Amino acid sequence: MLIQLKGGRVIDPANNRDSIGDVYLENGRVVEAPEGREPDEVHNVSGKIVMAGAIDVHSHIAGTNVTLGRQLMPELPLIAASQGQPFGPSPAAWGAYATGIRYAEMGYTTVIEPAMIPTHAIQAHKEMASIPIIDVAGLVVLGNDDYTLNLLRKGDVKSDELKDYVAWTLAHSKALGLKVINAGGSEAFKFNARTFDLDEEVPEYGVTSRGIVEAMQQVIADLGVPHPPHVHTNNLGIAGNVETAVATLKATQGHPIHLAHIQFYGYGKEGDKKFSSGAPALMEAINKHKNATVDVGQVMFGQTITISGDVLRQFDGRRAANPKKWVINQAEGNGTGVVPYNYKKKSFVNALQWAIGLEIFLLAEDPWRVLFSTDHPNGALFTRYPEIFHLLMDRNERSRWFDSLPEASRQVSGLAGISRELTLSELAVMTRAAPAKVLGLTDRGHLAPGAVADVAIYTEQKNKTKMFAAADLVFKSGKLVVRKGNVVAVSWGRCYHVDPGFDRQIEKRVRSFYETYYGADPSWFGVTETVSDRPDRFATIRCAS
Amino acid sequence: MDSTLQRAAELLAQARLPVFGGLFTDVNGAKAALALAQKLGGVVDHAASNGMSRAARVMRQTGSTPASFGEVRNRADTVVLIGDGPRERDPDLVEKLFPSKNLPRPGKNKRELIVVGTKKGRTPSGVRTTEINGKNALPELVALLAAATRELPFEIRDEALGKKVLSASKRLRDSAFAVFVYDPAELEEPVLHTVLETVRLLVKTTRAATLSMSAPGNGEGVNLCSIWTCGLSVRTSFAGETPENNMWAFETERLLKSGEADALVWIDALDGAEAAPPKRAFRGIPSVVLSSKPVKVGRDDVVIEVGAAVADHDAEIYLPPIAGIGVVKATSKKSDKPTVADVLNKIGTLIDEKGAA
Repeated sequence: MLIQLKGGRVIDPANNRDSIGDVYLENGRVVEAPEGREPDEVHNVSGKIVMAGAIDVHSHIAGTNVTLGRQLMPELPLIAASQGQPFGPSPAAWGAYATGIRYAEMGYTTVIEPAMIPTHAIQAHKEMASIPIIDVAGLVVLGNDDYTLNLLRKGDVKSDELKDYVAWTLAHSKALGLKVINAGGSEAFKFNARTFDLDEEVPEYGVTSRGIVEAMQQVIADLGVPHPPHVHTNNLGIAGNVETAVATLKATQGHPIHLAHIQFYGYGKEGDKKFSSGAPALMEAINKHKNATVDVGQVMFGQTITISGDVLRQFDGRRAANPKKWVINQAEGNGTGVVPYNYKKKSFVNALQWAIGLEIFLLAEDPWRVLFSTDHPNGALFTRYPEIFHLLMDRNERSRWFDSLPEASRQVSGLAGISRELTLSELAVMTRAAPAKVLGLTDRGHLAPGAVADVAIYTEQKNKTKMFAAADLVFKSGKLVVRKGNVVAVSWGRCYHVDPGFDRQIEKRVRSFYETYYGADPSWFGVTETVSDRPDRFATIRCAS
Repeated sequence: MDSTLQRAAELLAQARLPVFGGLFTDVNGAKAALALAQKLGGVVDHAASNGMSRAARVMRQTGSTPASFGEVRNRADTVVLIGDGPRERDPDLVEKLFPSKNLPRPGKNKRELIVVGTKKGRTPSGVRTTEINGKNALPELVALLAAATRELPFEIRDEALGKKVLSASKRLRDSAFAVFVYDPAELEEPVLHTVLETVRLLVKTTRAATLSMSAPGNGEGVNLCSIWTCGLSVRTSFAGETPENNMWAFETERLLKSGEADALVWIDALDGAEAAPPKRAFRGIPSVVLSSKPVKVGRDDVVIEVGAAVADHDAEIYLPPIAGIGVVKATSKKSDKPTVADVLNKIGTLIDEKGAA
């Protein structure tokens, strides 16, 4: 069936398009304007904004850690709803089904779960397969696991074994890419370390955090995995950590890297309170290091829950738990920390975190390298995105919020001096084109012929919160799934992953390792197509090598 | 088969509050049961919910400090085994927790076992074991150890026991990684709180954690599926506009006894495990039984023979060694018996068709 989206303002920065025109969809793809054929279905979208479906590069939507958060705090959606946040007033609002529905209503069509645990990949995939409409992918976590650390012991990487191990892990867990969380820090926590810096050595293994990240960058480059290592660096959330972030960028030596939720690393230690905005220094470094992409991890005021494989950091953060309950899960590799948190507008630190995130967005010289995220749910629930778009696109709205912050926070923030307002095209880069590019999902994030027919259509309004909270129309793979902000048809998306080759010898070695130390067979946690009951669930993204 | 499924669909379509009990099934079976319960406005419970529900309530109040089985066996220098429950769940538990070979572990202590309120039993050679036992009840012994670990002053008539407790508490404070192992089905909530508070005290200076034994019948697998599906653990009702969890109100036995439930879907289809049916099951309450074993039911009940997960078909279930959901290949040749998921999904379709007609 040929569908015509007629007369809208098409914003497609990947193809340098911002003009009034038509978009045609057929057989799940965007197609050229057909000659001599009448469309079967016409949607008059004049006066509306037409964009590719949005892509979330970093959102914790599934897997052991997320479900641990659900167990700890089933009341989260109720509290959020009571605070006026658009998250349904039922524990079910945090379930898999509601996740897909709410994302689709906002015009999101692809979401990346950034922390799949290798041994628990089946659970992550089962959960993701229960999320309707959106396409998904998972990033698998390595870098604190004993197999990797043993290979890196004293810098002694035996031939291609690490490369084979990473390739096997990616394939075994059906992941799109590799995530590294506080490299070595979680392992050091197992030896009772309570802090861990870039050049500290992991006890018993001798390798540094810097060494782990460098090795992983090399491996991912050698394997030709499109998405660079997705790295959560050391010292998250600590005053003065902007130095760590800048040092991490320098350490990349020009190799591709994606740094996650960098707002949490944008902290200086100036001023009476020894906490200040490091955003200018951070953005100077990011603007300079063109090998690096980042997502922001914007904070919004209100109740949320923090969920992270940075168990060392979460252990420290437990003292700030609000409500006063927390989980520290000590497990193979990273483990997990789950700590509820209530970002308060009246808090000096929280207000500054909020302002630092916005500064980062607005100081970005190249929106193709500074991607949108709240690190859902860590900085804010994903349901808060429309409010953030509003803040980025409307300086009056920003001033209104800023003026209500504590004076001490306002005095040390540079946000008020920034007049920039993001354009719709820049927003489309940060939420569509750039995530697609950095993830290697070349068939989306744009509207050129051949792209998957994921399209979000909005009514342009001054109030960007309202505009983006409810898309007028959303097409997922060519099917109309949302009308006037409500889901009208439930479809089921696909899961994207890479499948790099490896020397089969690694399977024997890994099996021997798991049998010896865990009494477990790796086949138990291997993800196969049968994890979902839909035969076309998985799609492979090709690696370059 | 079709007529049997039709009867099951008719029985359930008429029910006001069907309860899905037993739930000894794989994750796909749980997913299908949850979907059907949501469709019908029913209740989901699991035959081993008592322990899981207690652990869930305590966690919602104050959190939890779990360690995976792998972390404990590789890195714990002190294992505190509380009660008989853990070894009843896994008779080889102690051997598994003290393997001959392990990954690098913190501290220089030799590994040690402390058993509380249970016999020392079989222990691996070379592992020093302290037995804190006697006439006192298990909760009292746990309280003694907790108080001593907190270095609170106390006197106790049984001096020998007092000395052992003091020595064990010192060992806990000196441990590089102490882990408390228990079965939540054996401990009441205040005891669970006491153990967790002891861990929270220890972690201020050293490393500590808990290892909670998994429930039988793929309890954790079913429970996790419930949580990611509806945000809540088993013992949840879908009768209202939003799902509601209550460990007392939505217990299968109570719902049958009170007459609130007017239909029972009983699921018992895991290899090597048998769900104990509620006392009042199959006595006048219309039932649909999905079982891989012979079962005595009422005259009008509908019985559907299904394959046993793990024996007759590959199954995704909770596996303690990886502390998560894994897939296990079928042990016998592929049988043609349907799975729990097959049957429940088909019943769901028949109910939809009936509704549409």
